[in-house]
Amino acid sequence: MKKVLSVVLALAMLLSLASVAMADYSGDLKIWVAEATVEFTQKMVDQFKAAHPEYANMNVIIEPVGEGDAASNIITDVEAGADIFGFAQDQLSRLVAAGALLDVEPENAEIVKAENDAGSVAAVTLGDTMYAYPMTSDNGYFLYYDKSIVTDPSTLEQVLADCDAAGKKFYMEINSGWYQTAFFFGAGCELTFDSDDSGALVAMNAGYASDAGVKALKSMIKVAQSPAFVNGSSVSNATNLCAIVDGTWDATAAKEAFGDNYAASKLPTVDGYQMGGFGGFKMLGVKPQTDDDKLAACDALAAYLTSEEVQLARYNAVGWGPSNLNAQKNEAVQADEALSALASQLAFCEPQGQYPGEYWGLATSLGDDVIAKKYDNADDAALLEVLKNFEATCEGYLAK
Amino acid sequence: MTDLDYLKLSKPQKMLVDLRRFLAALPGHIGNGLKNLVMFIVNFFKGIGLAIVDVIQTFIHGDWKTKVSYFVMGFGSCARGQWGRGILFFVFQTLFNFYMFNPNASQSGLYYLGKLSTLGTIETHKEGRRTVYGDNSFFILLYGVLTIFFIIAFIYTWYTNIQQNKISEQILKSGHKLKSTKDDLQSLMDEQFHKTLLALPVLGVTVFTILPIIFMILVAFTNFDMTHQPPGKLFTWVGWSNFHELLASDTASHGNTFRQVLLWTLIWAFFATFLNYFLGMLVAIMINKKGIKLKKMWRTILVMTIAIPQFVSLLYVSKMFAADGLINTYLMKWGWISAPIPFWTQPGWARFTIILINVWIGIPYLMLIATGILMNIPADLYESARIDGASAFQMYQKITLPYMLFVTGPYLLTSFTGNINNFNVIFLLSGGKPQSMELTGNAGYTDLLITWLYKMTVNDTNYKLAAVMGILVFLVLAIINLVAYNLIPSVKNEEDFQ
Amino acid sequence: MNTKNEIPEVDIVVDEKAGVIREIKPEKLASKKANERRSNTIIYVILVLMSIIWLAPFVFLVFQSFRSYALEGGGMVDYLLPKTWSLDNYRWLFNPENSNFLRWYGNTFIIALFCSVIQTMMILSVSYTLSRLRFKGRKFIMNTVLVLGLFPGFLTMITLYFLLKQLGLTQTGAIPGLILIYCASSGMGYYISKGFFDTLPKSLDESARIDGATRFQVFLKIIMPLTKPIVIYTILMAFMAPWGDYVFASYVAFGSEPNYNVAVGLYRWVNVADYQGYFTRFCAGGVLVAVPITILFMCLQKYYVEGVTGGAVKG
Repeated sequence: MKKVLSVVLALAMLLSLASVAMADYSGDLKIWVAEATVEFTQKMVDQFKAAHPEYANMNVIIEPVGEGDAASNIITDVEAGADIFGFAQDQLSRLVAAGALLDVEPENAEIVKAENDAGSVAAVTLGDTMYAYPMTSDNGYFLYYDKSIVTDPSTLEQVLADCDAAGKKFYMEINSGWYQTAFFFGAGCELTFDSDDSGALVAMNAGYASDAGVKALKSMIKVAQSPAFVNGSSVSNATNLCAIVDGTWDATAAKEAFGDNYAASKLPTVDGYQMGGFGGFKMLGVKPQTDDDKLAACDALAAYLTSEEVQLARYNAVGWGPSNLNAQKNEAVQADEALSALASQLAFCEPQGQYPGEYWGLATSLGDDVIAKKYDNADDAALLEVLKNFEATCEGYLAK
Repeated sequence: MTDLDYLKLSKPQKMLVDLRRFLAALPGHIGNGLKNLVMFIVNFFKGIGLAIVDVIQTFIHGDWKTKVSYFVMGFGSCARGQWGRGILFFVFQTLFNFYMFNPNASQSGLYYLGKLSTLGTIETHKEGRRTVYGDNSFFILLYGVLTIFFIIAFIYTWYTNIQQNKISEQILKSGHKLKSTKDDLQSLMDEQFHKTLLALPVLGVTVFTILPIIFMILVAFTNFDMTHQPPGKLFTWVGWSNFHELLASDTASHGNTFRQVLLWTLIWAFFATFLNYFLGMLVAIMINKKGIKLKKMWRTILVMTIAIPQFVSLLYVSKMFAADGLINTYLMKWGWISAPIPFWTQPGWARFTIILINVWIGIPYLMLIATGILMNIPADLYESARIDGASAFQMYQKITLPYMLFVTGPYLLTSFTGNINNFNVIFLLSGGKPQSMELTGNAGYTDLLITWLYKMTVNDTNYKLAAVMGILVFLVLAIINLVAYNLIPSVKNEEDFQ
Repeated sequence: MNTKNEIPEVDIVVDEKAGVIREIKPEKLASKKANERRSNTIIYVILVLMSIIWLAPFVFLVFQSFRSYALEGGGMVDYLLPKTWSLDNYRWLFNPENSNFLRWYGNTFIIALFCSVIQTMMILSVSYTLSRLRFKGRKFIMNTVLVLGLFPGFLTMITLYFLLKQLGLTQTGAIPGLILIYCASSGMGYYISKGFFDTLPKSLDESARIDGATRFQVFLKIIMPLTKPIVIYTILMAFMAPWGDYVFASYVAFGSEPNYNVAVGLYRWVNVADYQGYFTRFCAGGVLVAVPITILFMCLQKYYVEGVTGGAVKG
């Protein structure tokens, strides 16, 4: 019954798309997606062309450009960038500020709003304008571990002790602004930015310089001191892996690395509080277009590539967790071990909002200082001073 | 032996004396420099004045062919039978006119020149959902500079054209014959051969080195960064504020970080140059020592590091030194250490590791160079030293080192300059990390000015600050070279070599 | 031990300064020899240790490249010797369906080939002109090159990118674009070969000029035949450089994977998070790049040594 319904819905959406974009386009159209999804995207584009005779002659070029590179590349040269490109949420405000993203076609925007989870809709919206099509809701992190070694993944102290006892390592990229929030948000701090329509960040809501912030920073210092700790978040770069804080994109690699002992769970508690973090999203954007016909083609294709049908197919092909509400209800998606670990972690996470580009660099600086053991002997007052400095610097990033 | 004594004793003292003299003469140097500069400017304008007078007089006194050439370049040459030259002049003028007054107004030199003072005013806007791009500040600046280049080249060519007419008239008046096109071509293979050989290289350097450098120097005075990124956004002139942002010490500026990075850059360049130099020389002496066999094999083994592309070897080596890399793992397995050594994560260690690995890279080069030079040291110097009972170390100190230092003075200077801009080693090994709250602008403790510049360009697309940084690197290098030029005798005399 | 009354070995040394013939006592000689032996032994130990340190990374790299992908994965590990040796990684690289590796390799080879020809011509022209011809502006050109050389190279990256883009030589045109960039300013690297030309006697040119040869003929017939070592050195350098360029090659070719050079392609495998388990493939690719270049380099090592030594002495 569900299947029939989803097919009907998909058809309905295709029809509605077709009615929006009847102009035909037969020129080039370039797409950048992550390496792992190139083949899949090609297949989807072929299906799209089959369903839309007016675009049958369109020449679609798909290049593997990862979510990290796509934004910097397209900012360097918008003209040479892809017409449709995938990127992670942290790049959105930067892309908009550089004039490299086109707002979503209003009718599509309504559909996106209705069909995707609220967090993902908020993530693609700046002020009142929607700038991208949500593609996944799985850009969060949780714990992969070796269940033959880690006896109890519910406290970080235990995880570290187990890893160390076995002479193995616990990996977490604590010098990344993305993973760091597991400590700060978990301890109860806040750090969000408000943006206006143009993507400029105009206000900051921060609570790092507080007792909770000091508590979080002390947890980070404690973790960094553990002999089992290694800074990192890539399964295949880890040489002596026992547990790692990582996301769904590494699920395949993790399964291979742990074999039969593969297990995933929400993040543990540390110093008595549940670790939190970001729930993030991946999205597809369309760059500004000078040709109306091509623009219509881009709108239609981007909407298709993030539709329920394709999100589900993407999950089946590469395991990316959908942002589409109906796709999320799919049985296979619900049963997925990594995704359900993520889902239970997301209960403790903040949906990731907009951050100034410099925030990520600043967070790396803080993390590097912790790893370099600069604060090992600092007292609470000194740590508070560090966090005050952190907040003040963040505030300096606001648009003047 | 007097030579040896001289080298033996007076070298460090000589350097000191030189330095003192240099510093004492510094005000004089600067004064001279300024005087020269003023003289140059005065002469320059004087020259232009004279040229203008000359041009006017030639016009008044010249025949009609010359007069027409003022408007149609090359006419005089053609009319006097020098077709080759004439046609070249004419083609150049036509190209210039076409470029300056292109009927497609938004592509003409005049258009770009006119917009240069604002770098564009028409904003990108949207008609419906379609984007209509406005002015592109980047291309206005780029083509604006190119147009100025072109105009200078045109004025120079025009002036040459008039001079040609004048000279031709004089030659004809004196009853001689003018050079034919065939003569011209032949002279390009003979008297004018340097023009033939240099034409392409000079063109290449002008377009792909000088033009971009001037462009970037100008960018240092604009607000070209991530939020002013053409074609979507305009950028414009902002004066000296970028220099302030990079150099001032207030919280919104990078002054403190800049000074720290500069200091580390100099420390790094010092070690990378001199540590490698002495260790490489030592290795060369060991391999060349009498009685050591398989000389060629030892050399070949070391030299392999030069042959293998650095992105392979350095990337691999950098992973070897990671917290969970091979070196830490094995040291712990063998029980030599209990916790991983923080090779890349602690500032001090990271700097030490980089210098250490750079020794691994640098020794082979220096070993080769030193080997070549050591063979040129007269053997009897060593022989007599040995008779005098000198130990190996004494011989090194009194003979080898002074000789090497004297001969390789210029190399040390270029090597120091090269190490200040040694991008690959830092980029591939540490990427500038670790960062710190004490540093701003994403700079890390192992960042050199050049790697920081790279981060600004590629990661932050902060071109304005990158441009300022480039200018500052240039200034630092210029100062170092100027001082060295006045201190190192073999550098000063480099031109006398022939 | 000696039954015969042997004449003791005496080392006689002529000391010119003292003007006497001195004699070194046999005991002293023996201790000197022992000393010599001892210091040689120390040197051998040092050299062997150094050889191990210098070769280790390459040997490790080769080990990793032969690790079985199927059984041990492609990620990084904390042990040296593969548990199972296999050609998995090489087989994977040589199959064009898996990756563009062969294409990248070909791209880089083409770039290296063109560069070695064009750059050599540029460098020889400039260095010959500046060394052996005298003309107005010579000094000016040399000073300009000196000043330009003090600007950091990456400063102009963005400008060069857009200059190339105007000519259509980025992304899909990245290969000719890179050749153009590598070659256009290569004349600035004239220093070492100018030093070489400086050492050739001036009388060679002069006598030929007196015999009525034009400068072109002197260049072609008298000088060129003598320049083999420096030509080979220049070609070798120009050929090797493009294999290692990551920064500019990635900046020009971004978003067009088939037009990467081998450095860009391989660098991404270990530094972009999208590529999981590519480490051993990176090692195998690195070996495939390093081996031919190393062999070429070893064969032409003599010329390289001449070049760098000459360059160092003359600055």
